[in-house]
Amino acid sequence: MKNKKVQVLLFILLIVVQLYVPLQMILKQEDVVKTGTEFKFQTAPVDPYDAFRGKYITLFFKEREITVKNASKWMIGETVYATIKTNEDGFAQIISISRNKPTAENCYVKSKIAFTIDQNKIALDLPFDRFYMNENSASDAEKIYRDLSLNKKDQTYALVAIKNGEAVIKDVRINEVSIKDLANKK
Amino acid sequence: MSPKITNDLHDLLKDNIITPETAEKIKSYYSQKESGSEHKLYLVFGVLGAILIGLGVVLVFAHNWDNLSRPSKIILSFLPLLMGQFSSGYSLLKKSENNTWRESSAVFLFFAVGTTISLIAQVYNIPGDLSSFLITWMLLCLPLVYLIRSSIVSLLYLIGITYYACNTNYFSYPNAHSYYYWLLILGIVPHYIQLLRTNSQSNFTLFHNWFVSLSLLICLGTIANKNENLLYLSYMSLFTIFYFIGESSFFKNLKLKNNSYLIIGKLGILYLLLLYSFKWFWDKSIYNTISAKDTFFSTEFLTTFLLTLFAAVLYFAKNSKTKFKESSIFDFVFLTNILPFISGYEFSLVANGIVLAIGIAEIKRGITQKHLGILNFGLVIITILIACRFFDTNLSFVIRGIVFIVIGFGFFATNYIMLKNRNRNEK
Repeated sequence: MKNKKVQVLLFILLIVVQLYVPLQMILKQEDVVKTGTEFKFQTAPVDPYDAFRGKYITLFFKEREITVKNASKWMIGETVYATIKTNEDGFAQIISISRNKPTAENCYVKSKIAFTIDQNKIALDLPFDRFYMNENSASDAEKIYRDLSLNKKDQTYALVAIKNGEAVIKDVRINEVSIKDLANKK
Repeated sequence: MSPKITNDLHDLLKDNIITPETAEKIKSYYSQKESGSEHKLYLVFGVLGAILIGLGVVLVFAHNWDNLSRPSKIILSFLPLLMGQFSSGYSLLKKSENNTWRESSAVFLFFAVGTTISLIAQVYNIPGDLSSFLITWMLLCLPLVYLIRSSIVSLLYLIGITYYACNTNYFSYPNAHSYYYWLLILGIVPHYIQLLRTNSQSNFTLFHNWFVSLSLLICLGTIANKNENLLYLSYMSLFTIFYFIGESSFFKNLKLKNNSYLIIGKLGILYLLLLYSFKWFWDKSIYNTISAKDTFFSTEFLTTFLLTLFAAVLYFAKNSKTKFKESSIFDFVFLTNILPFISGYEFSLVANGIVLAIGIAEIKRGITQKHLGILNFGLVIITILIACRFFDTNLSFVIRGIVFIVIGFGFFATNYIMLKNRNRNEK
């Protein structure tokens, strides 16, 4: 009987942990969404599929390259902190990378070195590259993007909230209109 | 009970061949046997149902319901998790002796945990780091193996951690070297030992034998770093260890199909020896690093060393009982790990000799035990060895053809003689 009690207590503990892990994920993300700084990352979406989480569009960011003094110093796959600033056009730009956490005044995201382009240039893998969409509208969204991108004046960007190195995509927009709305209209 | 048995019992009673008590005993024996298989059937359907419902929930949620607000999406994502926890709690408190309840609810909870984490990742567009997702999922579900006593969750956990090890070490670039797998697999060891002790003949144990040995087989390669050629030697030791485990008195009493260690061990050893027997195999160096220090302190070398040492211990454990008089050739193959350091090309000759000797030994064993399966296994080994030699020799087609015809006749002749002997003995 005592054994059973221990078993039940341990099971309750397991339930708590099983609930805590997703809850803590939610709280962390909610904090970034609500209090993080917003940036617009210029992007180009495509449409793959994840068996667990459904359809999403993968985002390729235009501003993922950075000029450094000696590219060979950085290892592929290494974790770095990229400091982000909004440029004159209103879009996000990586201004520097470092191995240590930058000071709190600046906004930065934890990312990885993707590859080196040449001696002085490297590309980063930003930690947000997926935007999950409704099964039916994901492929429409991609078509809309492709049609609109022929016209170079159109601006596609991801609205990202950033706080303490963490980032959450809030929306993907084409000319200030959410891609979800565009896809649903079609 | 089938109508045929009922009819037969009736006839046997009528003709006074069995007494009414015996007839009753036979009846109760069959009805008991049927209820046992019914239980098994319930279990299979219960678990299959739980897996299908679990996966179905994943797909329904993956649709991504756009018109729902973020809070309602989040609340909905917790629904499967709460349902799974409730049903598991219910089976723990009220149905702890019912296998079907325990296994099905635990399997459902297993999938529910994965679903909830995925859905939250979907809501917040968290990018897919599959490895960390798998590791969280598996760790959150491992306690179910012990608390709800679910063997299916244990099997799913084995699949999960094996996939995790492959994903981090084989499928990703640049390869991250993760050794967590070796800690994670320790998690199911107590459950596996308990299964072997209490239920060595059950289907759960059979599946565990296969899953554990295959998982180790797949994941040993994840230790590869710079000296990946040394892995051949690690694998040779692993196969020998499997072989010794399979030959231990505990596993030897199992049916061959349940003894995954013996099957994987023997086939693995033969595969490697056949690979060793090719001359081109030795064109590359077995160790790549420049300095001896780098080689001796590499993970591959240390792993090989430890595994070989373990194989040697098992060799002594097995053969000290028989005072080293009944050793088979398989018992010694782990010693081949020394040879590649001394010779290269010459070793291919040695490997040929070992395979040939194993083939002959198996044929001999087949004949003395009058076992057609073992006899033909030996013949197949020799045939494959000869077929392999055709690739790196320049013999003419005529000679190759004649050799194959001779082996073909050999197959016929040995099987024929054995069957004839067997029939004569039976008469």
